[in-house]
Amino acid sequence: MDFLLSYLVLAEIYVLLGLSTNLLVGIVGIFSVSQAAVFGVGAYIVAFFLMNTSVSFLPALAVAAICCVVLNIVVTLPSLRVSGDYFVVTSFGIQLLATAVFTNWTGGTGGANGLPGIPPPDVFGIQLASNAQLALLTSIMAGLGCIAFWLLMRAPFGRLLRAIREDELAVAAAGKNVLRAKVSAAALAGAFAGVSGGLYATFLSFIDPSSFDLDASILLLTMVVVGGARTLAGSILGPFVLLALPQLLSLVEIPTTIAAAARQLVYGLLLIVFMLFRPQGLLGEKL
Amino acid sequence: MVALQLFVNGIVTGCALGVVAISFSLIYSTLRIFHVAHAGIYTMGGYVAYSLVMHGVPDILALLLAMVAAAMAGAAIQVLLYQRLAARKGTHLVVLIASLGLLAVIQNLLAAIYSANILQFPGAWSGEIVNLGDGIRLTKVQFLTVIVCILAYIGMMLFAHRTLLGKRIRAVASNPFLAEITRLRPQAVYVYVIAIASAVVCLPGVLVPYDLGLQPYGGVTPLLTATIAMIAGGVGSITGAFLLSVAISVVQNLSLLVMPGEWSIGVTFFVFVIFMLFRPTGLFAAR
Amino acid sequence: MSAPYLHVSGINKRFGGLQALNDCSFTIREGAITCLVGPNGAGKTTIFNAITGFLRPDSGQVEFRGRRISGLSPQTIVAAGIARSFQNLRLFAEISALDNVLVGMRGQFGEEPLSALFRPLKTAHAQAARRITGREILDQVGLLAQADTLVRNLSYGEQKLLTIARLLATKADLLLLDEPASGLSAGALAALMALLRRLQSAGKTLLVVEHNTRVVQQIADDVLFLHQGHLMAQGTPEAIMADPALAEIYFGGALQDHGP
Repeated sequence: MDFLLSYLVLAEIYVLLGLSTNLLVGIVGIFSVSQAAVFGVGAYIVAFFLMNTSVSFLPALAVAAICCVVLNIVVTLPSLRVSGDYFVVTSFGIQLLATAVFTNWTGGTGGANGLPGIPPPDVFGIQLASNAQLALLTSIMAGLGCIAFWLLMRAPFGRLLRAIREDELAVAAAGKNVLRAKVSAAALAGAFAGVSGGLYATFLSFIDPSSFDLDASILLLTMVVVGGARTLAGSILGPFVLLALPQLLSLVEIPTTIAAAARQLVYGLLLIVFMLFRPQGLLGEKL
Repeated sequence: MVALQLFVNGIVTGCALGVVAISFSLIYSTLRIFHVAHAGIYTMGGYVAYSLVMHGVPDILALLLAMVAAAMAGAAIQVLLYQRLAARKGTHLVVLIASLGLLAVIQNLLAAIYSANILQFPGAWSGEIVNLGDGIRLTKVQFLTVIVCILAYIGMMLFAHRTLLGKRIRAVASNPFLAEITRLRPQAVYVYVIAIASAVVCLPGVLVPYDLGLQPYGGVTPLLTATIAMIAGGVGSITGAFLLSVAISVVQNLSLLVMPGEWSIGVTFFVFVIFMLFRPTGLFAAR
Repeated sequence: MSAPYLHVSGINKRFGGLQALNDCSFTIREGAITCLVGPNGAGKTTIFNAITGFLRPDSGQVEFRGRRISGLSPQTIVAAGIARSFQNLRLFAEISALDNVLVGMRGQFGEEPLSALFRPLKTAHAQAARRITGREILDQVGLLAQADTLVRNLSYGEQKLLTIARLLATKADLLLLDEPASGLSAGALAALMALLRRLQSAGKTLLVVEHNTRVVQQIADDVLFLHQGHLMAQGTPEAIMADPALAEIYFGGALQDHGP
C-alpha cells in the first residue's frame, strides 16, 4: 500500500514534469534535453528555503516556480534566435553546465553527496508527513497542472502554438507575434518544472545531482515519447508507464551493478522503437 | 611555465577534438542530421580497441580493427535507422530523438558490459615522457595523438577535395535534390559518409583513452565541444572546425590557471554563447 | 489623384551577386486589382517580401496610406492592413480549415496564456463568437462545408481558397496574393476569379502575382510589369499586352518557364 502510494506520488510529480516537456518538445517542437536541469533548480531552491529559512513550503514553491520561469526563458531564448540544430547544442550545454553546478557548488547544493534531510512540505501550517497526505498534495498539484494544460490547449493560445510548430513564417504572416508565444510557452514549461522540482525535493527529503542529469532528461523525453506527444492523456500515461518499468525490470535477473545502465538502455531502446514505429506514442499525436 | 604546459596540453586535446569535429561536420553537412549518437561511436571505438588489446592484439592492429568496427556500426545506423526514418518522412525532431535514444543505448550497453568505472589501457609505452625542452613534457601517446590527428585533418582535406568520392560527397552536401536527379545516389553516399566519419572518429576515440582512460559516458562532453567548434568555425568548413577545436581547447586549458577544471564546460559554453550572439554563421562560413 | 494608397519607391535588394530588386518603384490604387507580371526571377516574390516586412531592403521605402511601413515587423504591417499569401501556400496542414482561419484572426481573447488560464469562461465564450465569424469567412470563399476537415485532406484548389480565407481573417484591406491561380483546374479558376471580383466589390485592394495572361486580362485594372527587379511598365492590361517589347520579354520568359 505504501509502495503504491509512493509510486503514485512520484508518477504525479513526473506528470507535471512531463507536461512541461510536452509543452516545449511536443507542442512547440523545440528539442530539449535540459528540462531535468530546470527541474533540479526548482528542487534545490525549495530545499534551500525549507532547510535554511523559516519560509514555508508554498511560498518557497512559488519562488522556485518564478526562478524556473526566468531560467527556462533564458535557456530557451537561443532557440528563438538560432536555427533548431544550434539549439540542440545549447540544450546539451545547459544540461551539462547545470550538472557541473549541482555537483561542484558544494556550498549550495551539497555537491555529489547531495542534500539530505529536506523537511516534508507544510501547507497552511500542517506538516504533511505521511505518504497519504503527500499523495493528496501531489494529486491536487498534478490535477491543477492537467487542468491548466487542458485550458491552455483548447484556448487560442494552444492553437497558436500548434500553428507555430507547423510553420512559423506563416504565423508571422498572419500577424502574430511568434516570439512572444514561444517565450510564453517556455515560461509555462519552466513553472511546471519548478513546481515539480519542489515537490520532488520534499517528497524524497534527499536530492543529489543524479536526479537532474542528462539521463534524467532522457527519461523525461522517453516519458513524453512513450505516453504520446502533444496530448494531455499522453503526458499522464507516460510517467506511470515509465516509472513502473524499473519494477518490471527487477523481475528479470539483472545484477544490481548494471541495473541503472540496463534501465537507461531500455529508455534508449524505447526512444528508437517509438520513433521508428509509433512516433505518436501510445496516446499522442504524430511528432 | 605552467601556462606553456597548459597551452601544449590544450593543443593535444584540441587536435583530438578537431578530428571529432571534422567527422561530425562531415555527417552534419552531408546528411543534415545532428548525429548525437556519434558520441557513442567515439566511445565505442575506444572500448573495442581496449578489448582487443586485452586479448593480446597489438595496439596498432587494435586501432585499425576498431575503425573497421566503427565504420560498420556507422553504416548500420544509416541503413537501419536514419534511412528508415527518412522513408517514413520522420521530422527533424523525430530523427534527433532517435539519435539521442541510440546514444543512450550505446553508452549503457558499454556500461553494462564493461561497468561504468574508468578503465585504463595496459602497456607502459603510452605513458613514457617525451621532453619538449623548457620542462614542457608530453606523454608518448599525447605526442602521437597530435601527429595522428593533424595527419587525419590533412587526409580529410585531401579526401574532400582530391578524390572522386570526396567530390561526390561535397556535391551531395551542397544540393541533395540535384544530386538525386543526376544519379549521384545520395543514399549510397550517405552510407559512405557516416562509415568514414565513424572510422575517423576512432582515431581520437582510441588514442585519448590511452591517456585519460575509458568511461562509457565520456563521449558527450567531447562531442558537445566539437559541435561548438564546428558551429564557431562555420558549418561545412573542415579547417574552421579543426582550428576552432584547438582554439577552444587551449582557452579551456588556460582557464585552469584561474578556475578549477570542473568548470571547463562553462568556459566552452561561454565561447558558444559569444559566437551565437556575435557571429552565428561562424568564422569560416562556407555558405 | 490623392496620396497614393501603396507607394513603393526606389527599393534595392541584393542577394550575394544577384540584384533581385533594382530601384523598384510603383504605386497602386485603392480598390483596384493590380496584377504584377514578369518573367521568372523578375523579383515579384521579393517585392512581396519587402512590402510585408519579411525582407529588409538595402535601400528604398514603402509607404501605405501615407505612412512609412518599411522596416516594421511583419505583424505590425498586418496590423496596418496589409496581408500576404505564399506561393507554396504554407497552410497549417495538421489542423482544421476553420482553425487555420482562426489563427489568422487578430486580437483574440485567450491568445495569451494568462487569460486562457484565469478567464476560461470568457475565453470559451469569445471563441464561440470567433468560430461564427470564421465560418462566415469560410462561406465567403465557398469552403463552409469543409470547415472541420484537416487541411491535408483538402484538395489543392480548396487549399488555395483557404489561403485567401486566412488572409481575410486578418481584416487587412490590401491583400497580396502570390500566384493564386497557378495549378487550378478551369472550374476552380473561374471560381477564384469570381471570388477576387467579390473581394474587390467588398472594398479590398488586391495586388496579385499572375502568370496566366488570360487571367490578367480578365481581372486586372492595372498591370505592373517587372523585369530584372525593376518596373518596366505600368498600365492597363490592353496597353501592356500590346507592347511588343514587353511581349518579347514576357513570352520569352514564359517559354523558358515551360522549357526543359
